[in-house]
Amino acid sequence: MPLSTQSQPDDEHYALVASLDNARNLSNILKAITFKDHAIFTATPNGLKVTVEDSKCLQANAFIQAEIFQEFTIKEDLVGFQVNLTVLLDCLNIFGGTTVPGVSTALRMCYRGYGYPLTLFLEEGGVVTVCKINTEEPEDPIDFDFCSTNVTNKAILLSESLKEAFSELDMTSEVLQITMSPSQPYFRLSTFGNSGNAHYDYPKDSDMMELFRCTKTQTHRYKMSLLKPSTKALALSCKVSVRTDSRGFLSLQYLVRNDDGQICFVEYYCCPDEEVEEE
Amino acid sequence: MKFRGKIVDIACLNHFTRVITTISKLTKMCVLRLTPDNLYFVLSGKVANGGVSMWCELSQANFFDEYQMEGVSSEANEICLEVTPENLSRALKTVQSAKAVKIKLTKKHCPCLTIAAELPTMSSINRVVTHDVPVDVIPRRLWHEFKEPSMPDFDVSIYLPPLKTLKNIVDRMKNLSNFLVVEANLNGEMNLKIETDLVSVTTHFKDLGNPPWGDDASQDGGPSQSRDPDDMAQARVDIRKLQQFLMGQQVNPSKSMCNIVHQRILHLILLHEDVSLQYFIPAVA
Amino acid sequence: MLCVCVCAYRPVLAKAIQSLSRIGDELYVEPQEDGLALRSVNSSRSAYACFLFAPLFFTRYTIPSGHAFRCKMAIKSVQAVFRSLASLEKTVEKCHIELDGQKNRLTFTLHCRHGLLKTHNLSFQDSESLQAVFDKDSCANVFRAQPRLLVDTVVHFPPSLEEVTVSVSDERMWVRNHVEEEAEQSKAMLTELCLASDEFDHFAAQAHNSITFCLKELRGLLVFAESTGLPISIYFDEPGSPVVLSVTDNVLEGNFVLATLSDDASLRKNNTERVRTSPPPPPPPDDFMNDDMDSYLIAMDTSIAPGPSTSRPPTTPLADSTCSKQPAAANHRTRLHSEVEEEDETSDTDKPPNKKFCSLFFGSVLPPSSQMSTQPLTKQEVLASDSEDDTPGD
Repeated sequence: MPLSTQSQPDDEHYALVASLDNARNLSNILKAITFKDHAIFTATPNGLKVTVEDSKCLQANAFIQAEIFQEFTIKEDLVGFQVNLTVLLDCLNIFGGTTVPGVSTALRMCYRGYGYPLTLFLEEGGVVTVCKINTEEPEDPIDFDFCSTNVTNKAILLSESLKEAFSELDMTSEVLQITMSPSQPYFRLSTFGNSGNAHYDYPKDSDMMELFRCTKTQTHRYKMSLLKPSTKALALSCKVSVRTDSRGFLSLQYLVRNDDGQICFVEYYCCPDEEVEEE
Repeated sequence: MKFRGKIVDIACLNHFTRVITTISKLTKMCVLRLTPDNLYFVLSGKVANGGVSMWCELSQANFFDEYQMEGVSSEANEICLEVTPENLSRALKTVQSAKAVKIKLTKKHCPCLTIAAELPTMSSINRVVTHDVPVDVIPRRLWHEFKEPSMPDFDVSIYLPPLKTLKNIVDRMKNLSNFLVVEANLNGEMNLKIETDLVSVTTHFKDLGNPPWGDDASQDGGPSQSRDPDDMAQARVDIRKLQQFLMGQQVNPSKSMCNIVHQRILHLILLHEDVSLQYFIPAVA
Repeated sequence: MLCVCVCAYRPVLAKAIQSLSRIGDELYVEPQEDGLALRSVNSSRSAYACFLFAPLFFTRYTIPSGHAFRCKMAIKSVQAVFRSLASLEKTVEKCHIELDGQKNRLTFTLHCRHGLLKTHNLSFQDSESLQAVFDKDSCANVFRAQPRLLVDTVVHFPPSLEEVTVSVSDERMWVRNHVEEEAEQSKAMLTELCLASDEFDHFAAQAHNSITFCLKELRGLLVFAESTGLPISIYFDEPGSPVVLSVTDNVLEGNFVLATLSDDASLRKNNTERVRTSPPPPPPPDDFMNDDMDSYLIAMDTSIAPGPSTSRPPTTPLADSTCSKQPAAANHRTRLHSEVEEEDETSDTDKPPNKKFCSLFFGSVLPPSSQMSTQPLTKQEVLASDSEDDTPGD
């Protein structure tokens, strides 16, 4: 076992100690939610949740279960703090974040409590880096009150099929309009840009569509600027579940497989921009 | 004052191009000194260069199949030119497939280093390409500015870790801070440190080894005589200058080391067979 | 009025649009009897390009008869349809293009794998016909080369270089970079490439001229030619009249028409700056003694800046064939200006890249009834012919 992931004598001082043989398993999933600097870390015995928000309208959460870590020791039921996510990512990738097989950065992450920095011990090829990242008191994440019992429409697609659409989105369009319907066009993404509009239609029986369960035709618009960051999550994921509730709130859940084949989740919640009449 | 050289061997051409490309990443302009045995690329540590200086030495016999030169005079048998290495690099890159490349000092609309190559084609006649790279001839009265820098009286000399590793780390640290502290001791240990309001990061290298500088190293008794092996010498440098040095490396050096004059200078040395590159970054407070 | 074109997706369509985007900001679309014409012109109107896709290119090509229709739109929005250029080839099964005059809408529908349907509705403006008038068949110099040869030539020049000068003799073509200002000469790297005639598929140089034109548009065409593997034909006469670069196959034709520096500019230049305007003589024997640099050093050491006259090597005199053959072209540009008709669009805020280029060598507005072909029209409309001599293609 790499040096830095071994238990240290001063472990008893820490409220949280988490170790990973491969730091990429953390850094990759954090990349999927990096669109603002402030990230709220919430650790419970189940694992780690990292939350990033934008303008009270968008929230992204990354979940890393305790089992993903080689060591996950928590002294309290809940340990929370806030750090600069961009800084954290630079630290996690200090050795370059190599993808060369057989080479990985080992990580040991420790937090002592309020007022203390988040300390990272990183080791690769015998070289050790110690990072101390200043922490702040965590803010309370927004509760979007998105409840699965209120879900009106749901579709699970292979991420592959949405990647192309998202990479081609007309960024001169202020909104992305999502239409989900039990009848034609079933699942439609639309943009309204400077030079015209564009529609991407996915038939419900497409082999890219793993599940299609729509009860009612719903058309809602979401700010393009808010949804654009979710492209990062899409790029890392293999499947995405698109859900809307009766209020038109959007939930995007991404299933991400890490280097070791383990599964983590990233979810995005987004408020609708405005109501639109169905065409 | 004449110069003409010819490179036939493709590996030599490739190597020569890499050396010049490396230099082009380090500086926009530099001085090329030609002597009967060597080529030197020199950047003197002027304020305009951010205090950085460079000395790169190549033995002509290892690159050129023909090499003829006539210096300014028989007692000063040298030619000193100010060149844009980027232009030389670009010209050389386009002629990598050439059967032979000639490099000549020519009189065109202005003094030029002319790079002429015959490129193989499907047809019976070769394709001929010439690049005229304008140069400035440096008058002899200014030559003293481009002499080989004397080895600084360093506190610690240490072998560098793999440059790729160093580059990765410095790249990330550059995202976090503008300045970097390099410190090393005579126990083979080197640390890279940054510290800002948000974060402090320290990377520890060990077992790097310290080069044995003999009596000829013009040291005052040598650094190892009196110094505590665990005592760190350090230099705080502009991280961009170090990054630039690491970014440009096209030549995989067989030996790389660094000398630190405590709080004064970081002196980086790369050795590759017949090429040596020295780079001096001044420390800042 | 409804025009419908359907084809199996072919990357050549997207590549054509990509290379047109190197010319100008707008795409002019015109469904014609003889095919779908896509055109573009640059802001200074010194470069024009047209691709014509024959009806046979499409599996279905329907246009209303006896009713000319044309429109233009931002080329960027059309590029957006084909944004994932690399993957389109694998994912798109069918491409449907519909031009609806009533709704002012151009619709691209891409039928993709897995049933995904991408529909792009682009709004457009009506436009004048964009038609360059040129007669490539009467050009004295005609060359044809595989795209590889030109790609390998262009690669020697920096991406930032704006113009190249091409000179020809019976057996050789020289390509070198054109440096505008005298002041830049001492800093700029000069590159010259010499190609032998037998590297070309066809090489016919009747007029031993040098022309200077923009490299950017040539690079644009090379993007297209390289991906399709189509040979490029080059037609030109003399400085000031356009150079035409063409690619053709059974179902498509592409013509790029580029202004060349008018002769007064290049002539003046030649007299004052660059010594060689016509094909340079064979290089002098590789003589070590030829290049003694002492004069520079002496001049510098005594702090006397070497004047251009003293430092210039006593090389070739200006080849007289080139100079004497050119008519005095002083009124050349004036005349072109006067004959360029006004356009409704006045938003050409972009500064022309180079004022020495003839501002426009085409009539941009033609009566709707005129023949929309790339062949020469009536004599009056030939704006880019010889200046003194009104007979085109003499």
